[in-house]
Amino acid sequence: MAAEYNLQDLARNWVERGRSMAGAGTQLEIFIQEHRGLTVTAYNEEIEGLRYSHNRGVGIRAISEGRLGYAYCTSLDWSDVSRAIEEASANARYSTPDEHNILPGYSDYAQAGLDIYDAEARDMPVDRKVEMALQLEGLTCAADSRIAQVESAVYADTISTVGIANSAGVSGSYRSSDCYCYVSPIAKQGDESQSGFSFDQGIKPSNLDLSKVAKDAADRAVCLLGAASTPSARSTLILDTFVAAEFIAILASALSAEAVLKGRSFLAGKVGEKIANEMVTLIDDGLLKGGPSTAPFDDEGVPSQRKELISSGILKGYMHDSYTAARSGTSSTGNAQRGSFRDRPHVGPSNMYLKPGSGGREDILRRVGDGVLILQVVGAHAGANPVNGEISLGALGLKIEGGRPVQPLREITLAGTALEFLRDVVAIGDDLNFMPFAGSLGAPTVAVENVMIAGRG
Amino acid sequence: MLIEDDTARRVIQAALSRGADYADIFAEHREGYNLRLEEAKIEENTTGSEIGAGIRVIMGESVAYAYTNDLSEDSLLETARVAASAVRGGEKAPINLEQKWNMLPVLGEHPIEINLEDFAREDKIALLQKADEAARSAGNEVVQVIAALGDSRQQIFLANSLDEIVLDNRVRVRMVVQVVAAREGEVQIGYEAPGALGGYEMFKRFPPEKLGHDAAAMAITMLDARPAPSGPMAVVIGNGTGGVLFHEACGHSLEADAIHKHASVFEGKIGRKVANSIVSAYDDATLKNRWGSFNYDDEGVRAQRTPLIEEGMLHNFINDLKRSKRDQVAPSGNGRRQSYRHVAIPRMTNTFIAAGEAKPHEIIADTPLGIYAKKLGGGEVNPVTGDFIFSIVEGYMIRQGKMAEPVKGATLVGNGPRVLQDIDAIADDIDFDTGMCGKDGQSVPVCTGQPTLRVRELVVGGTAEVV
Repeated sequence: MAAEYNLQDLARNWVERGRSMAGAGTQLEIFIQEHRGLTVTAYNEEIEGLRYSHNRGVGIRAISEGRLGYAYCTSLDWSDVSRAIEEASANARYSTPDEHNILPGYSDYAQAGLDIYDAEARDMPVDRKVEMALQLEGLTCAADSRIAQVESAVYADTISTVGIANSAGVSGSYRSSDCYCYVSPIAKQGDESQSGFSFDQGIKPSNLDLSKVAKDAADRAVCLLGAASTPSARSTLILDTFVAAEFIAILASALSAEAVLKGRSFLAGKVGEKIANEMVTLIDDGLLKGGPSTAPFDDEGVPSQRKELISSGILKGYMHDSYTAARSGTSSTGNAQRGSFRDRPHVGPSNMYLKPGSGGREDILRRVGDGVLILQVVGAHAGANPVNGEISLGALGLKIEGGRPVQPLREITLAGTALEFLRDVVAIGDDLNFMPFAGSLGAPTVAVENVMIAGRG
Repeated sequence: MLIEDDTARRVIQAALSRGADYADIFAEHREGYNLRLEEAKIEENTTGSEIGAGIRVIMGESVAYAYTNDLSEDSLLETARVAASAVRGGEKAPINLEQKWNMLPVLGEHPIEINLEDFAREDKIALLQKADEAARSAGNEVVQVIAALGDSRQQIFLANSLDEIVLDNRVRVRMVVQVVAAREGEVQIGYEAPGALGGYEMFKRFPPEKLGHDAAAMAITMLDARPAPSGPMAVVIGNGTGGVLFHEACGHSLEADAIHKHASVFEGKIGRKVANSIVSAYDDATLKNRWGSFNYDDEGVRAQRTPLIEEGMLHNFINDLKRSKRDQVAPSGNGRRQSYRHVAIPRMTNTFIAAGEAKPHEIIADTPLGIYAKKLGGGEVNPVTGDFIFSIVEGYMIRQGKMAEPVKGATLVGNGPRVLQDIDAIADDIDFDTGMCGKDGQSVPVCTGQPTLRVRELVVGGTAEVV
């Protein structure tokens, strides 16, 4: 194991040394990231695949008279880092000036109580994690006699350390751990097969409730057996928490100031307007205790913050990084995000979620009475357009009558616009759930009235 | 070398420590430079330097892969031990630390005239500016020009449990020019995107002014296009970019992983006739300085020319080490990966339909009515059935054996294996196009190629009347 080093001190030291090389007129930012990840996939009681990654590297932004240059390297030796600083500075000399290229200044960061790291994620032996993937597969197969197969059962974790410093005074670091598991079983009855899915996440392996995930995934597959299409009609939709979180992804994209400035958002020019039912409050909270994307600061060192982007149905504002904030004459909301040290920061959500209301799914179904519970949507990437807000998706679900499921449904599509959906929300549950795959987007069960469902028959 | 011989020996030993069929270590050092010009401004200007190594352990159908950016021996050993932990209950194989490595010859089949470091930053920026200016001066209709340039040098090191060490060095340059032209509410796009396994001498063959001009000319020409007709008709596919049809609709179905997943129409068809007798197709990573070429693949297998189809007969699949072993055939040198962060899988390199004997103008003259698809754009293929849909981004009507007006909004709908049977004329003008091929989340450089050829009948989906 490599010795633990302090990334914050390293970043600060390199900024100082780099500045004396690049000259006082050049602003410098050093972003260091170290990332260890493990993914174990079980299939047919064997380990089908194991992936381990140890990623580390340094990203350097150099800004001179508004000209931006970027460079990165995977080495943490000063000889290589200094070369990368020279490259970034040289690249800056040849870029087109833009006065909005700025680096944020010094801030104090909240460190305590974020609840984002547990050493168990690092210390648990790989063999135990391998057993968890196998156990999850076994539990899922045993959960219901109609489960014929498990497509994949996965245990995964990542441990990240980030250090940042810049010549305007930013300096900070943090460590986080993220563990999750998921399983997708296939239920069979006669010639018909239906797939299900469920997952859990936490900051340490022992947070994961394998039995619950196995049972939930099996239930989700089995409950769709016997599915048929249904005649086209307008209906009240009850969006399962997984599905509702996929809809949040459309809003996350449209609420980025970068998308707004490029004319790629259906929410451009609507700040201050009522765009949703009063029940709808959408929050982006980079400080959410234990949240999957929680951190003391964003990927350019601006303190994370909690803000309501939609407040009781009113659009309050967009997510900003320092660049979009400068262009828009406002301040950063702490939403600078990077894919890795190889990328410059861009605007993105931290933990974005729909504020919970009251009652669980059963309660919402009872309140709605008749409708369609949507359990899966198909084609979320192609069928949901964040530029114009148009939504047209294939779906699977359950027909609800008198508050109870009466018939599984397949080969149905739901269509509308994101603005219609926001306006027509009629109930929001208290069962907030975060999706682990599209960043960190969360939603409770949500009911939307008067949505066009197309089917056959 | 990126990793010392003795270190490699100990790492392979650690990877095999719980018993395994095979293990290897792939290390690379990649340096790259990326420039992007948009609205005549330099929007991106990035230099990257990356070092890393990936260790693979194969046991039966199980594949473990672990990688790190830290090439110290301690780090590599730890990474190897994590990869080995996927093996459960295996028999530990004896390892002889005295065993000598078999160092395969270092090859230099793809000469470089102008090295990346000998071409100054300002000269690289000037390439983009020249393309931008040429495109803008091609016509008032040009409203947007995006020009991007990328170069990279990748040094690789590979050692495996067969006691082989392989070194390779790959230098690549590519430029992409995209032009948007507009007139009276009509918007069309043109592009050029040449690339090479080589240095900046590429721009002697592809002067930036010509790239800018040609991309703009394509966009402007298409502004005059009329809506394409719809219905079944003869389709002449232009040389070069037309090869993407074979790549997508047949090539991916010839990759051994698709065969093993029973997701290919070509399963069990080796030695059988799958195409018209005039059709031969190859995957060839040895083509000099082509974008998809290399000396050794990413598993250390020497680059080769693999006959896929000869005179209509299916000869080989595109495989990697794991799949060739399972099929008990020789490795075809197609084990490729995006980087040390990815596992090698069967991938195409430069894939093409071989030249015939006809002249392109003869094929046109012999076509009373049809469509000439000069450039194909994006497509979608169902890999299991081979059904495809492709858009024609630059197309013309053929009437009475002559090229006629440009047409827009046309798609080609058909089936890959069916097209192979229906190719009824092949010209002698083979050309290649460069692209990045995506599969399983990995992107690798490839060429697609073909001469001008005619497909007897394809369904053209247009917006105008049925012909």
